Amino acid sequence: MSELEAKLKTYRLNKDEYGRIEKLLGRAPQGVEWALFSAMWSEHCSYKSSRVHLKKFYSKSKRVLQSFGENAGVIDLGQGEKVAFKMESHNHPSFIEPYQGAATGVGGILRDIFTMGARPIALADYLCFGDPGAERMSFLVDGVVRGISGYGNCVGVPTITGQTEFHSSYDKNILVNAFALGLFEEGDPIVTSGAKGIGNWVVYVGAKTGRDGVHGASMASESFEKDSASKRPTVQIGDPFFEKLLIESCIEVMAQDLVVSIQDMGAAGLTSSSFEMAAKGKVGLKMHLDQVPLRDPTMGPEEILLSESQERMLLICEPSKFKALEAVFTRWGLDAKKVGEVTKGPEVELYWHSEKIAALNPQVLTDEAPLYERPYSVWKDKNKVDQAAMIESLTFHAELQRIMTSPQGGSRDWIYHQYDQRVGGRTMRDAAESVSVVRLKSDRALAIVLGCRPQMMRMDARVGASDAIFQPALEMAAKGFEPLAVTDCLNFGNPEKPDIMSEFVASVEGISKACESLDAPVISGNVSFYNETLGQNITSTPAVGLVGLKNSLKNIPHGKFQNDGDAIYLWRVDQVTHTGQMGEDKSGKSVWSGSIDEKALAAFAKNLREVVESVPLTATRVVGKYGLAYSLARMCTEDLGFRVRMGDWVSKPSEWFLERMYEVLLVCPKAEAEKLEREMKTRGGQFWRVGIVAEGMADFDDGKPIMLTDLNLSYQSAWRVHFESLA
Amino acid sequence: MKKVGILRFWGTNCDRDIWQAAEVCGFKPEWLWQDDSFEAKDYAYFVVPGGFSYGDYLRCGSLAAQTPAMKSLREASNKGFPIIGICNGFQILCEAKLLPGVLVRNESQRFIDDWAELKVENKSPFTQSVGQRIRLPIAHGEGRFFAGDDELKKLEDNGQIWMRYMDNPNGSLKDIAGVMNDQKNVCGLMPHPERALLEWMGGVDGHPFFLEAAR
Repeated sequence: MSELEAKLKTYRLNKDEYGRIEKLLGRAPQGVEWALFSAMWSEHCSYKSSRVHLKKFYSKSKRVLQSFGENAGVIDLGQGEKVAFKMESHNHPSFIEPYQGAATGVGGILRDIFTMGARPIALADYLCFGDPGAERMSFLVDGVVRGISGYGNCVGVPTITGQTEFHSSYDKNILVNAFALGLFEEGDPIVTSGAKGIGNWVVYVGAKTGRDGVHGASMASESFEKDSASKRPTVQIGDPFFEKLLIESCIEVMAQDLVVSIQDMGAAGLTSSSFEMAAKGKVGLKMHLDQVPLRDPTMGPEEILLSESQERMLLICEPSKFKALEAVFTRWGLDAKKVGEVTKGPEVELYWHSEKIAALNPQVLTDEAPLYERPYSVWKDKNKVDQAAMIESLTFHAELQRIMTSPQGGSRDWIYHQYDQRVGGRTMRDAAESVSVVRLKSDRALAIVLGCRPQMMRMDARVGASDAIFQPALEMAAKGFEPLAVTDCLNFGNPEKPDIMSEFVASVEGISKACESLDAPVISGNVSFYNETLGQNITSTPAVGLVGLKNSLKNIPHGKFQNDGDAIYLWRVDQVTHTGQMGEDKSGKSVWSGSIDEKALAAFAKNLREVVESVPLTATRVVGKYGLAYSLARMCTEDLGFRVRMGDWVSKPSEWFLERMYEVLLVCPKAEAEKLEREMKTRGGQFWRVGIVAEGMADFDDGKPIMLTDLNLSYQSAWRVHFESLA
Repeated sequence: MKKVGILRFWGTNCDRDIWQAAEVCGFKPEWLWQDDSFEAKDYAYFVVPGGFSYGDYLRCGSLAAQTPAMKSLREASNKGFPIIGICNGFQILCEAKLLPGVLVRNESQRFIDDWAELKVENKSPFTQSVGQRIRLPIAHGEGRFFAGDDELKKLEDNGQIWMRYMDNPNGSLKDIAGVMNDQKNVCGLMPHPERALLEWMGGVDGHPFFLEAAR
């Protein structure tokens, strides 16, 4: 290997990229510049394979105050309230070191929120694990959950919802996507990241810089080979206590108007924060790397630039305000140190003591980063059939029992009971419900739901991506909420493979069209490519987070039955029928028929919301995995079950497992039944009264009612069955 | 309007929740910062809120127990002011020896977030009726109460057991969820009454805690 090849390998750049650097600089890169290009041109920082497509996202609405390009998107809720939210992946570090990987994933997403000036008030996690029996899987599950719990609980932000999936495609590459939402109350400023004001100071605040996470960004932009354990030193170590101090102090200095702009030192640490702040503000910076507070005084400039030590911020402040700013940080036990100045530019100059070690135009690292049009093909339907039908030979009761204790169908309580779900005093509905809700000071309710069903993505990426938005949107509608905006975390395999890239492009299109039809723009997110180990790619998984609003705290139906004798209705808008999770379990894949009409689905969401607002429903549930059978089972309490009949909606027992886009179960007191029927009738779609809420039994009209104690026991014992060492 | 003093340390995270509770109950809340001494006058009661003071470094509550604010709180206690410590606040009061016993890691070795049913065993400034069953949220990793045999006997004999779990979630000795000092003005509990304040929170059993504080 030549010297150049060896260098390219170390810095994870390819030959074409090297040529581009030479052209931009008019010479070969030297010294610390190698590290700068390596980090800033990594997939993780530059989005070089995805930028072309992300531009297509539906991203504007009258509520959007801040969209892509800042640390997080911000939407206006009216009445003086605004929220910032975003979801981000921390997959690679979590597979290497689950506790710290997940913990710092939470820490990073929180910083994205409070750097905007918002106080974080809710967390959520989208997790995909491998088969419970896969190598290291119990360890990974345990570590990830403990990491989220350890970090989130300590910083005092409640983790109120999430989604957890299991599938063998994640055996060697789990997904850990953390979502955070922050609230601006009346008068709180939105703070951005562009450096401004020639002569202003660049100030470093927070924890000292150590060797952890050096080269983390470029590590995350590479597929795993065999020795992922050897990558452990690239994983950062988090300290939630420091983060808590940083949250309080940063919010305080921003509220006192002591900050011009601020940026988290996340992926590629000081490098990305300083160059991005300069590029955004179209100014230069003069940075004194020797002034950076260090944990280990022997660290050199390259390590300082690339360290991903946690809980650090870079901010710009007017020199006259520095004293006041420093006083706030001192009160919270944190250092605030001047490490540079804003200059006319155009270059960012890096000094090590008195020696200038690099001077680069920041645009070269950011705007001039490579942009790839990776090959892909136009999406063609996958696994589509004329009429999707459930396998006939199922033994209904045995299958119901099986799914209730399966990793996919079983209880997730073990996870959520480790998260503080109520700190902050805003939680109205916690993770036990399909839609989690926080109360706002204006006495309105804000809902958060995560989405994306990997099983649907394996069936057909275009259908799966639509579902990733519509399913959570309908779940919100079923509780009376209007979806306002979306964040996404696009987890995919190797983008250099056209099949993967095709799924990526189809997903972006599916999400965007669904968002447009709902007028719920995508305002933030990230892309995680190279989720590939030893040539095996994960299921393409575009996880999303939806945020919705309701103008009152009233009429939010529960997910579980409330009263004996209530009427159970099914409301259906039939577009796609598919064999769903059961089909995949039984034959290795699911098949579908029909087609998607986004406008009609958006109209259904609106209709559903209006019905929920106008009829006092006691419980609602959007039918999801394993069809009506599982949804009805999940609505049972310890004492309240149901008696349902077969009819036009389900003609034979196996069809209780069939899945549809979409159908919703609506439950109301008998006295309200007539009104509910009238409200549905005026809005269209098919509806049926399928049964009633009944005590003690789950009865599917086959002469073999199931005792609720048995059903609940199966559901609750699932975790113990699959994760014996953790239960 | 009567004031409620809320202690605040680095890492306290239920401070705003207590502020909300005090306001809802018609008091004027006031922050009492860790580094500042204060004088105990015209406060209806004091609250040491939950959280992870000083990041739980060394031992839960041990560093907060050594602060100037806690020195002032001790004086307030000597003057008979009602004081309630919740979750980490309970741990801090135990570390400061204002309350008996210690709180150690949950039996499961895991953090637990849930709702717990409790039985109020003895009258306190924060709960007037005895024998009452209440439902409050819990959220802690180190909430297992422990005390030596002699101390436990003393607590039982003096009526210092404030409340017990109906279904012990964490392995606490004798199902103990909260205790009082022998003067019965200092009270500590692991559950969070401020999280069961209003109907929309899913329960209201915590509401009276912030109303009463009779001296």
